[in-house]
Amino acid sequence: MTVQIDQLVDWLRRFRALVVQNQALLTELDSAIGDADHGSNMARGMNAVVEKLHGESSETVDALFKGVGMTLVSSVGGASGPLYGTFFLRFGTSTGAVTALDAGGLSAALRAGLGGVVTRGKAEAGDKTMLDAMIPAVDALDSALAAGRDLAAASAEAAAAAAAGRDATEPLVARKGRASYLGDRSAGHVDPGATSTALLFEALAAALAGPAAAAESDSAAEPGPASAPDPTP
Amino acid sequence: MIGIVVVSHSTALAEAAVALALQMTGDASPRIAVAAGAGTDANGDDVVGTDAARVAAAIDEVASAEGVLVFMDLGSAVLSAEMALEFAETPHEVRLSAAPFVEGLVAAVVLAAAGATLDDIDREASGAMSAKAAQLGVAAPPPEPPAAGPAAPRQQAADAACAVAEAVIVNDVGLHARPASMIAARMGSFDAEVTVSDAEDPRRSASAASMLALMGLALAQGTRLRFSGTGADAAAAVEALRAMTEEGYGELG
Repeated sequence: MTVQIDQLVDWLRRFRALVVQNQALLTELDSAIGDADHGSNMARGMNAVVEKLHGESSETVDALFKGVGMTLVSSVGGASGPLYGTFFLRFGTSTGAVTALDAGGLSAALRAGLGGVVTRGKAEAGDKTMLDAMIPAVDALDSALAAGRDLAAASAEAAAAAAAGRDATEPLVARKGRASYLGDRSAGHVDPGATSTALLFEALAAALAGPAAAAESDSAAEPGPASAPDPTP
Repeated sequence: MIGIVVVSHSTALAEAAVALALQMTGDASPRIAVAAGAGTDANGDDVVGTDAARVAAAIDEVASAEGVLVFMDLGSAVLSAEMALEFAETPHEVRLSAAPFVEGLVAAVVLAAAGATLDDIDREASGAMSAKAAQLGVAAPPPEPPAAGPAAPRQQAADAACAVAEAVIVNDVGLHARPASMIAARMGSFDAEVTVSDAEDPRRSASAASMLALMGLALAQGTRLRFSGTGADAAAAVEALRAMTEEGYGELG
């Protein structure tokens, strides 16, 4: 089984849809331990990505993801711009100029993206960051593939691991980013970055789930413009 | 002259900081590029944030063989600047300054205009925090200057590695930013450690290599300065500072 470039585009559209649907939640989580802009920043960034996808189509996977990364870098504004931007740039650099990815290629690209986030954020597992969802997700995908599961099943396991990692950030004390200013008071809140990363893997699992799920993608991927209230003063 | 890049979440903040720094320099200003904000949102409003691609473009805009020093406000500005190092195309050295934004920028613009090197400017800017702390009295005061001999324009100590000279500040406005920057920049050409102190009150002293520390002393016209140096070039260094001071740091006439 291979992943076609259309499915990767579908992943991005689904991620955008989930981010927009969850914009208010992301902002609410970020208002507890950050500066209440993660929802609006990610929605603006992914809206810009989808707008770019409408305007131009990429022939190759590396061109697609380099474009996505640079769009996020230049539109998000907050720390998630360089972090998600680096994830997608490294993802694209890893694949080379191909038009489809096999399981090993997808795994390597996700691993490269994860490595980029680690380097950029200088964080590690347990710091209450997006890595607490991303590391278990990429590990789960690799484990499932190694156990002979197909990409649909492996990506579903990755999504479940990301969600579990997100939930596990709640008791953690933040050691990176704005939330770390709060010290012990950051405990008791789910991390907004881990929450958006869980959406990233939820979107991947949906995009790779097969033709039945792909049929829904047009309606799911085209919500109206972001309208959730933004509590940022 | 090095290039300077100013990275901020806010264009207004960056431009005001640059304007403040440029007030301290004369005609010769270093090349400065601002990379602030992250474009506009769907409503056309400015997005408060930073954009690594803009930072990279700003770096390339001011890059030269002397190098580039980048100042950042906080948070994502640091991440964006780090990422910009990967995007920038200049083959020349680009350094991210750990200095506090405003103080570091002011020190860097002044020293760059005086022709100081990237190393010296980076070090001076990074020391900006301790200069302010010392001024507030919340950190250890700078060390006492070496015991000076009787006042004399120039006096070699017995071991020949120490030198002392004195001169009176003749400038109307005292030892302000530009003279402080000239002194600090001049020190870069000597193998010497020189302390500048108020000859009447030696507790008021600072390293001659630190523009911000010199400014922090707020030395007024008429103050007799004592330059106490150690090191191989100590005699030449204190003599140079004495001459610069008596000549009014090029501001007379």
